[in-house]
Amino acid sequence: MTLNMVVNRKPVSVEIEPYARLLDVLRTQLKLTGAKEGCGIGECGACTVILDGETVDSCITLAASCEGKSIETIEGISDGDQLHPVQQAFVEHNAMQCGFCIPGLVLSGKNILDKYPEADRERIVEAISGNLCRCTGYKQVVDAIEDAKDKIDE
Amino acid sequence: MIRFDYRRPTSIEACLELLDLYQDKAKLIAGGTDLMVELRADDEKLEHVNMVIDTTHMAALKFIEVEEDVLHLGPGITHEEIWENPFLQEYAPFLCEACHSVGSPQIRHAGTIGGSIGTASPASDPLPPLVALGATVVLASVNGTREVLLEELLLKPYITDIKANEMILSIDFPLLNPEAGFGFVKLGRRKALAISRMNVATYVELDETGKAVDVRIVPGSCMPTAVRISEAEAMLLGQVPSYELHQAIGEKVAEEMIKVTGRRWSTPYKEPVIASLVKRALNQATGVKDDD
Repeated sequence: MTLNMVVNRKPVSVEIEPYARLLDVLRTQLKLTGAKEGCGIGECGACTVILDGETVDSCITLAASCEGKSIETIEGISDGDQLHPVQQAFVEHNAMQCGFCIPGLVLSGKNILDKYPEADRERIVEAISGNLCRCTGYKQVVDAIEDAKDKIDE
Repeated sequence: MIRFDYRRPTSIEACLELLDLYQDKAKLIAGGTDLMVELRADDEKLEHVNMVIDTTHMAALKFIEVEEDVLHLGPGITHEEIWENPFLQEYAPFLCEACHSVGSPQIRHAGTIGGSIGTASPASDPLPPLVALGATVVLASVNGTREVLLEELLLKPYITDIKANEMILSIDFPLLNPEAGFGFVKLGRRKALAISRMNVATYVELDETGKAVDVRIVPGSCMPTAVRISEAEAMLLGQVPSYELHQAIGEKVAEEMIKVTGRRWSTPYKEPVIASLVKRALNQATGVKDDD
């Protein structure tokens, strides 16, 4: 079957199996490998993407359900060589080690600031509660997202 | 992954016809947060499934409406939408709290209230407050519609009385007094992504003399399904809430749990914990000071 969606602001049309997961379509067909497969059951958040303005776990999202929807992945949030303020803040705060969870964490951080530009620390912590990181702990991550909040304002 | 074909009906009528045609070979998908995991794990209870019917696009399943003091909740409303709804926050705050404690933001953005009922997990967070609200579920098939009390629709863990050719059209409940007390307490292993080890929803309405006139206590993950514990509710009816009384009621709920489930390996843990959770949820609903 044909799936039509908008990925990173570009319309795409792909032939998919009816039982394909969004994560597989993104990674293997659209070659957008930023979203990672961690647990595969919607617990770790490494596969997080933004679907019609809300974060979802793409490993448990049926691709066919995304017909006509808009998807944002980590590949789509920078502006050319200019990193998104949340990405830039992650660099400045050393908010990563192995990097496997980072696309998901960055998207959860970006999404909460898109929805609540004044998000406080508590809201940021909650927004990343579905993204597990086994390297850094979360302090630098939360610091980075809080810091990016002010950068987006500027 | 179980392989299946896929249909995306655009109307409720078309969806019901597909369900009638495929019967138990078909599964409805809403958010997919449970179904996708089960399909991927080749869950044996789905081995006969070869058709997935998608409801995620159906605007007719997404509504929150009030009509003559009855709230109609569309099954396609997500957990996040319930949590964020100002009207529900006033009239059913324990349902909002419960929905807010489901999974993670990603799960709450996709998972729906209709899906919670269809899955009928004994560890569900939204089901105990919905049972406490006295919710009824409107089910439709090609043969017409019927209404069933949610408490009666939930038969066993993961088993409901929803027939293979039926779908949920609406979840209805009479509005309770927003001035009364609502409680929801959950014990999980961590705050996010925790499947409830146990939870409790409570509602207590007092008269002008401070005595309880309406008491509802629904524990989750204790009984096979979410049910009101009338023996425990009766202990508070006509009484003035107090810490000691809530403690005794908590012990009563634990006793009722053991009557149904028998003594199991988990009982030495569950018995004192559910007693304590009930006490805390009643304290929360009535403003009685809780343990620090």
